[in-house]
Parts: sequence; structure tokens; C-alpha cells
Amino acid sequence: MSQPVTSNPLIIMLINMTVVFLVLIALGIVINLIHKIDPTAKKEKAPAEPAAPAPTAVPSVTQSAPAGLSPEIVAVIAAAVASYGYGMDQIRAIRPIARDGWKQSGRNIVAERLL
Amino acid sequence: MELFNAFAVSLQAVWHDSGFSAFTGGHAIMIAVGLVLLYLAIVKEFEPLLLGPIAFGCILANFPRTGFLEEPGLMQAIHYGIANEIFPPLIFLGIGAMTDFGPLIARPATLLMGAAAQIGVFVALVGAMFLGFTVQEAGAIGIIGGADGPTAIYLSIQMAPHLLGAIAVAAYSYMSLVPLIQPPVMKLLTTQKEREVVMEQMRPVTKFERVCFPIISAILISLLLPPIASLLGMLMLGNLFRESGVMDRLSDTAQNSLCNIVTIFLATGTGMTMSAESFLVPQTLLIIVLGLIAFIFGTAGGVIFGKIMCRTSGWKINPLIGSAGVSAVPMAARVSQVVGMKAKPGNYLLMHAMGPNVAGVIGTAVAAGTMLAMLK
Repeated sequence: MSQPVTSNPLIIMLINMTVVFLVLIALGIVINLIHKIDPTAKKEKAPAEPAAPAPTAVPSVTQSAPAGLSPEIVAVIAAAVASYGYGMDQIRAIRPIARDGWKQSGRNIVAERLL
Repeated sequence: MELFNAFAVSLQAVWHDSGFSAFTGGHAIMIAVGLVLLYLAIVKEFEPLLLGPIAFGCILANFPRTGFLEEPGLMQAIHYGIANEIFPPLIFLGIGAMTDFGPLIARPATLLMGAAAQIGVFVALVGAMFLGFTVQEAGAIGIIGGADGPTAIYLSIQMAPHLLGAIAVAAYSYMSLVPLIQPPVMKLLTTQKEREVVMEQMRPVTKFERVCFPIISAILISLLLPPIASLLGMLMLGNLFRESGVMDRLSDTAQNSLCNIVTIFLATGTGMTMSAESFLVPQTLLIIVLGLIAFIFGTAGGVIFGKIMCRTSGWKINPLIGSAGVSAVPMAARVSQVVGMKAKPGNYLLMHAMGPNVAGVIGTAVAAGTMLAMLK
């Protein structure tokens, strides 16, 4: 092992914390840069605009819900989304997505054990 | 008569070659320690996937005359993987494949909480140096506060390999105790009003950002801190497997089969460093105390920085998510969620806390890299 730069614990703490902050700030700048240059961001926003003015929200949600979902479930989901501050006119469809919840849960447990 | 003599000599030889003839009180104590750890893993379910093989490795390490580390074989191969920093980066490959960096990308400011929570690492380092540990030993002890097992093992191997067993056990034990250690510190440092802050929904993250993040992060951090290039590189490679959308088979292997296999080797090998000669020393007790101090200060650092961000953002950030900056993914984020829910039912902080949580993983690796660059 080579000789450490300093043996003063407080100086070591100060230098190391500064480096940790600087590296993570640099990473934050990189994340912002990626966001700025993202060529796909505008394309995703564009089709959303024409759909915004929906005359009545609740009927459109009911119409967009698949046959398997009862009106009660649609109402509960809509109320939950509304509790986060979103208006009814912002809900365009309610449909189940393909997701293996058990698999994901298992992965979460494994990740929990590793860190 | 000759038959009797031959029988007696043979029995004597078997006894002299057996482990019993070289068995000491120290071995008995360490086997008892291994049994206690097994009890905690199996009955109390404290990190059983890791503590189980660590405990059994501890028991195996204290059988005299096995020649595990002297003769070529499985045990020596496992030890080779530990001593040459092979297993921790492989574990990071799996962690990368399991980690969603979305919350961090959506709110990069949370990186600062991940950085602030590293204060625990360096407070423990200062404490260890005042208690007489060398600067390298102090650095390895301090990293317990990072609450990141593979990084703790990675750094210990390079800076204080003789303390690996105590450091690994302390790190994993405290990680399993995060739900007990963190809440009192979080409540002590925050007001009811701060705990009730409701955070806004995060912006959506595009696939472009998710794919670019691991690539550019790996390039940036590896160039800045080459000592942790293998650790961060594998973390980001695993994440690229996950986010690219075209490497699902590799992602699946990294986060399941490979990760489980390497966990067995890493944990058993870590347990096998807990021989009586290296573990039954007064330093072990000090390491356990310093590890607890590191966890408490790390939590406090994250929460205090969260309070600063709460004020500067106009009460848009709940300081409780700062405690998740100590890593311990995702348990520390869950603790933020639970404490937040107790203060204000219906206030879901989990997704917001995942930002500083994964930032803490990167922050701990960066802290390890700076210590390796500066102190090794």
C-alpha cells in the first residue's frame, strides 16, 4: 500500500465529502443534459395535445374501460386518481396492463436482501 | 496383540488428524456465533438470503485442519473470488438489472440527498481513527454507513482484508435493522409539518433517458474514479440490460440465476473469513459500535439535507425521503414511506424516496472510490 495523502481524519472527511458531492452534482448535470437533448420527448408530447379537450370525462372513461371492469371498479380507480389532484377530464382510459406482479415482487425481495 | 497395537496406533492417528485434537475455545465460540446468526436468519428472518450462507461459512471456517484456503478446491476458488474482487461487481450487475433509475432521472436533485447521507461513512472513519485504527482500516469500517453490502466487501478487501468478516457482518446486520434504526432519527430531526409535506407527481421518463443514463454514467464515473470502474460499470451494464428492451434474456439471467449463484459464493466466502483468529479480537466490538454510529449519522445527514431542500424548494420536498440516501435498497425507501404514512395517511413517498435511495448506491460507490484513490 502506498502512503495516504493525509492522515488528518477531518481533512479526509472534508475532501471526500466534497468529491462525493461534486461527482453526484456532475451526474445530475448529465441527467439534465440528457433530458434537454432527448429527441423523443417532443414526439411523445405531440399526440397528447389534441386529446386534451374532452367534453365529459366520466362517460368517456366508462366507454374506454374493457368489458371485464365493472363500473364500481372504474369509479374507485377514478376517485383514487382524482385524489392525486388530477381532474376527471385527464383520465382517457382504464385498462389492465400485462404485468407479472408475483415475479416483480420476488425480484424486489431479492434486491432487498442484496443492498 | 499385534492386531490390538495396530488398532490403537490407527485410532491415535485418526484422532491426531481429526479436527477435535486442534479444536480450541475460540473455534467453539465462533461456531456458537455462527449458530446465533443462523437463528437470526432462519427464525427471525434477518436478511436470510445473505446471513444464512454467511453464518454457515462462519461455522465451516472454524473447523480445524480442513485446509480450505491452503489446498486447491471449491473453498479456495470461492476465496479467490472474494479476495480478487470478482463477486461484488457481479452482484452489482444483478442489482443494476433490478434497479429502476426512473425516479432519480425524473428528479436529479435527489442525488444531493444520496451524497449528504454519505456523511455517516466519514463520521465513522473519523471515529475509527480516533480509536486507533489505521486510516485504511478506518475507511473500510466507515463504509458500513453506506448500507451497501457489496461495496463494503469490495472496499474492505482492498483496504483491510483482515477486518472483512466483522465489517460484512456489521453491514448486513444493520441493513436488516434499518426499520428499527432510522425512524427515531427521522422523527427527532423533523417537525410534524415537515413530515406532512405532500410531494408532486414526478415527470415521466422517456426510454431515451433510461438508456442513455447507464451508458453516460458509466463513462463519466469510471473516468473520474477508475478504482470503482468495475463496480459502477457492472451496475450500469446490468441496468442497460434492463432498459434497452432488446436484452431481456441477459437481464433475466443477471437479476435471477447469476445473482443468486454469486450471492451463494459471496456470502459463504464472507462467512469463511470469520475464523476465530481474525474475528475474536477487541476490534470487532468497536467495528460493530462504529457501524451503528455510521448508520445513525448517515440517516441524519440525509434528513438534514432533505430539510434544506424542503425550504429551498418552497416546501415541495418531504425531508423524510432524505433518510433513504443511505442505500439499503429498497428497505430505506420503505421506511420513508412508513414514517410519512404515519404522519399523514395517504401520503405516498415510496416512489419519491427511491430517487435518493438509488442515488445512495451510486454515492456509496463514489465514496469508496474516493477513499481508494486517496487512502489506499
